[in-house]
Amino acid sequence: MEKSVIKLQDVWKKYKLGNEDLSILKGINLEVPTGSFTTIMGPSGSGKSTLMHLLGLLDTPSTGKIFFDGQDVSKFTEDELAKIRGKKIGFIFQQFNLLQNLTALENVMLPMIFQGVSEQARFERAKTLLDSVDLEHRINHKPKEMSGGEQQRIAIARSLVNNPEIIIADEPTGNLDSNTGETVMSILTKLHKEQKKTIIIVTHDPSIAHYSENTIHIKDGQIIKNHFQESQVLWQENGSVKN
Amino acid sequence: MVLFKGINFHNLKEYFNIALKSLTTRRVRSFLTTLGIVIGVFLIVSLLSLSQGLKNAVLSQLNMMGKDLIMIMPGGDMMASMMGGQKLTEEDIKIIKETKGVKKIAPVDYTSITVRYGDSKKTILIYGIDLRNGLDIYKNDVGWSMADGRWPTAGKNEVILGSVIAKETFSGIKVGSTVIIKGRKFIVSGILNSVGSKQDDTMIGIDMNIFKSVTGERNGAKQMMVKVESAVSVNEVADRIKVNLNENRKRQIGQKEEDSSYTVLTSEKAANIVGNVMGLIQAVIVGFASIAIVVGGIGIMNTMYTSVRERTKEIGIMKAIGAKNKTITTIFLIESGIFGALGGVGGTLLGLIFAKSIEFYFQIHPMFYLKADVGPMLILFSIMFSFLVGCVSGYFPSRTASKLKPVDALRYE
Repeated sequence: MEKSVIKLQDVWKKYKLGNEDLSILKGINLEVPTGSFTTIMGPSGSGKSTLMHLLGLLDTPSTGKIFFDGQDVSKFTEDELAKIRGKKIGFIFQQFNLLQNLTALENVMLPMIFQGVSEQARFERAKTLLDSVDLEHRINHKPKEMSGGEQQRIAIARSLVNNPEIIIADEPTGNLDSNTGETVMSILTKLHKEQKKTIIIVTHDPSIAHYSENTIHIKDGQIIKNHFQESQVLWQENGSVKN
Repeated sequence: MVLFKGINFHNLKEYFNIALKSLTTRRVRSFLTTLGIVIGVFLIVSLLSLSQGLKNAVLSQLNMMGKDLIMIMPGGDMMASMMGGQKLTEEDIKIIKETKGVKKIAPVDYTSITVRYGDSKKTILIYGIDLRNGLDIYKNDVGWSMADGRWPTAGKNEVILGSVIAKETFSGIKVGSTVIIKGRKFIVSGILNSVGSKQDDTMIGIDMNIFKSVTGERNGAKQMMVKVESAVSVNEVADRIKVNLNENRKRQIGQKEEDSSYTVLTSEKAANIVGNVMGLIQAVIVGFASIAIVVGGIGIMNTMYTSVRERTKEIGIMKAIGAKNKTITTIFLIESGIFGALGGVGGTLLGLIFAKSIEFYFQIHPMFYLKADVGPMLILFSIMFSFLVGCVSGYFPSRTASKLKPVDALRYE
């Protein structure tokens, strides 16, 4: 069996709603193989965002265990989780989630500040990454001066600065037009293909799923389909869908 | 320090930059928040430096008065004896003169009279000076010295002028000029150097006997200066004078008089009284101004809580990309610390400008000599105190911020 970077074992996530417990995730068992490209799909309210938060170690399960690189992290403190997130996970969000009062360059350098990277190294690394997403001419602009596509490319650059093992993207193309969305997807597929990054995308857009090797369908807090499509890798750099 | 426990001092420069960026994006609010502290610190710096200056002025005047000098005034306390029209009687003066340890006495009497010089008429304080017996005390113990001319001769119609009279009140007046007091002509025999006391610098001094005949106040004196013999304790002599005066008073009006109705002051005692009164005033100033700073601190806390709410999502983002709780605490504490420190610096500057303006005003209009005393300790204390208030005010909001769960913070819209 392949080594898995994240493993969920009978994970439940419950919220209190008045006096009742509301179960968002109901006994999820899931393994994300190292270097895989996984899509999590499901209608809104299915629990896919909650699942993404757990996979990204942004949240802890009510019951069950989460293993990250073989280590049980379900009882880790917030600071211990922050340490793993900072070093090993890169996030890309639908809303881009850039800090509005920082420039593109500063946004990309921010995760490195939290890791104590030196100023010079931060600057060079951030600049290289912004070059690689074709934003070298915009490094001193603030997010509000940029288009959605540009902002998402900054977010991608930011997610990569600490050279993470995994990139988790929550509806990365949700706020973009289809052309820009394709550009973003092609960057992600390239990362997967060339740098062997583990990529997890949460989406309700079926066309995104075609880029991935593995699609997990979730409904009412349970996984209803989990097929590993190794034999039929469908990603294509131009983003078109093969039938 | 508990407050700084858990702060990540690593990367402080970067966190400072992040905090500063956030403050500068909310300029008006940052300005208003800082203003709250500025007002408090302004009050502390300006009022404390002025009151300290006032204290210095009074004390330096007292210091010019010799250590072996005793002032005697009628009335139980200093205020009453200064305000009231009570006088020491001739009998009192005799008792003082005969008290053991008394070397010399100089009765002081004064009253305001209209004085004419040329065409100008001014109401001026006229001192009766015992030129025959008491001049030594003025020269050696009160610190009077002649800028021009000579001391008046006893029994002659001659006057000495305080420095301000010569410079401002009667411009052009000089030694040899004539002034008219109650229709009598007086020749200016000398002009004094500034004594540093407003009252002494704006008076005209004449011989005591002539003062009595001019004013018609023939008996007694408003005050008495006593010089004690050397090698005798000033305080003991002062006590003796007081006892003698009180006993005499009791004999005169029966046994009813219990309270002391004389004020007998040595320069040391006077300095203590001034020190105590000014110390009390300063304590009140510090008290009220501190309340102002604390109110400013509450303003900072309010702003910080608002800021935490507004930036919940930002906090979530920072946590998602690896910021630890400490990091968030540090960033928010730096922000509130900046409010405090900026308020401290701003308030100190304004306070300095204000205090120096007042000083300048009194240089132009010399009612009394006031020099704002702004010590480095006062400045350091004000800035440190307001910085501390800033940090303390930011402590709880920053904890609230750091305890936000990343997933909740990210969902916040």
